[in-house]
Amino acid sequence: MPILSDRTSSVAPRDRTPRLSYRDRETLTACAFVLPLLLFLAVLVLLPVVGTFWDSLERDVPYLPVRFVGLANYGAILRDPGFWDSVRFTFLFVAVSVPLELLLGLMIALVLNESFPGRALLRAVVLVPWAVPAAVSGRIFELIYNYSFGLANYLLQVSHLSGRPINWLGTKVGAFAAIVVADAWKTTPFVALLLLAGLTGINQDLYAQARVDRAGIFQRFVYITVPLLKPVLLVALLFRTIDALRIFDVIFVLTGGGPGGGTSALSMFAYTYFSSGDFGYGATASVLLFLWAVGFSFVTVRLARFREETL
Amino acid sequence: MNERELKKVLLVAGVLLTVMITLGPVCYMLITALSETPDFLRPTKPLTLTLDHLLSVITADTLHLLAYTRNSLLISAAAAIISVFLASLAAYALTRLPLPRKGFFLGGVLALSMFPAISLVSYLFKLMARLGWINTYPALILPYVAWTLPVSLWILVSYFAQVPRDLDHAGRIDGASRLQILVKIILPVAAPGVFSTALLVFILAFNEFLFALMLTTDQASRTIPVGIALFEGLHGQIPWGEIMAAATITTLPVIVLTLVFQRRLVQGLTRGAVKQ
Repeated sequence: MPILSDRTSSVAPRDRTPRLSYRDRETLTACAFVLPLLLFLAVLVLLPVVGTFWDSLERDVPYLPVRFVGLANYGAILRDPGFWDSVRFTFLFVAVSVPLELLLGLMIALVLNESFPGRALLRAVVLVPWAVPAAVSGRIFELIYNYSFGLANYLLQVSHLSGRPINWLGTKVGAFAAIVVADAWKTTPFVALLLLAGLTGINQDLYAQARVDRAGIFQRFVYITVPLLKPVLLVALLFRTIDALRIFDVIFVLTGGGPGGGTSALSMFAYTYFSSGDFGYGATASVLLFLWAVGFSFVTVRLARFREETL
Repeated sequence: MNERELKKVLLVAGVLLTVMITLGPVCYMLITALSETPDFLRPTKPLTLTLDHLLSVITADTLHLLAYTRNSLLISAAAAIISVFLASLAAYALTRLPLPRKGFFLGGVLALSMFPAISLVSYLFKLMARLGWINTYPALILPYVAWTLPVSLWILVSYFAQVPRDLDHAGRIDGASRLQILVKIILPVAAPGVFSTALLVFILAFNEFLFALMLTTDQASRTIPVGIALFEGLHGQIPWGEIMAAATITTLPVIVLTLVFQRRLVQGLTRGAVKQ
């Protein structure tokens, strides 16, 4: 489409506005249209992040004047065993929960990709856990893990898997498993739907051809489905990793970071300091989490290649 | 067992497992809400159904459940409308107008959406406290708008890109301004997409927890997720029946909404992430 240039557009001499080409005026309009969005993001996302960076350089605790301390908070936090426990928990949580969610999500996506009566209904039902607020599903799971009458111990007892009830939320290992399961329940639907969208994009002729070549169901899965799904799997992996790094809601409700700080993910660690009024130290932990998350998000953005021609 | 049978067995097992996993906890919530005592799984305790918990959480003023619901609905609706409107303006500029470095713009906005909420919330708390807005609606609406703008923008860009440019040109010839074209032509044509984006933002805001926890201090200003997370009940102990009753009443509408508009929501959720 030819675009009118300066020379072809005739601006009347009596026009008092500065001479702008048609394209320049269009660009100005475009800037005006994106300005409100940018303003919101600048004031309510970028400014707070910069503010948190600044806070991390201060001693900001109740009853004492705020004082600039440079990198003292960072020195302190790197020597804080509680912080390293929290780092270990967070990365272990990511390493266990993200692969689990991808596996479960892939399983559900494969089921939903088949044609069977009631498929449309099942596709809707799968979204239910996504719609329940994490704080609410956290409380449901708190009840499920109840030591004396919860569903989890009831199922263990009925199925004779464990002779004695498990103290899910009172032990470190139990609480870790409990959080992983509760989080997977809430987030797997998103993974499943993402992968389903990827599956529907695979050319069915490939499967037909493979059948002609006498490839079995597992061979077709390994040699066609997995390689062609790889880009979507990668996107799901990165989205889930970034999200799992900042886990908060489920932990706040289920364990509050306990027992003995054993499930204090980085967001929970920082929140504990914020809620006790220590903004400097909380900000320091937040900044470190921020840097990890941004590192991962850069990778994601790199991978989500933008095709400008579609704009 | 031949391949067809194997596939059938796997499929049936998969369907059953999926249904049990997804609906199990929700059913457990419902039954506990309706059960006289929460320990109905004990072999000695029969399950006795009652509506007491449901009625008491609605009628007890000290539990503020209606206040939570009103807060959540108003805040999420306002956030959805503002977020979608601002994102529409930007999406229009990105799909229709000359703007340098569009890919960079979209990528940058996407990167912002991946910031952990914890690294914003302490500063937002200080900001809102200074403005005296703690416990008010704007204290949550404004951060929610900013937090959902990237998602709105990404989805709307993909919907707007599908609206034929001929419609714009027709509007231009009729002398409509860019804003008029957006409001009177693009938004109505892309209405299903715009609606699903707004619904998605509504649900995201409705479910948000950390901002709502930090930016409200007063019981009556809490939103549903915070209210339920900190629910104390009428008499000591953990009032499981009442908690699950409150959870049922407040999340059932969202669940129904999700089931009804499932197709649209999924479209919105997976757009952007999966290249069609």
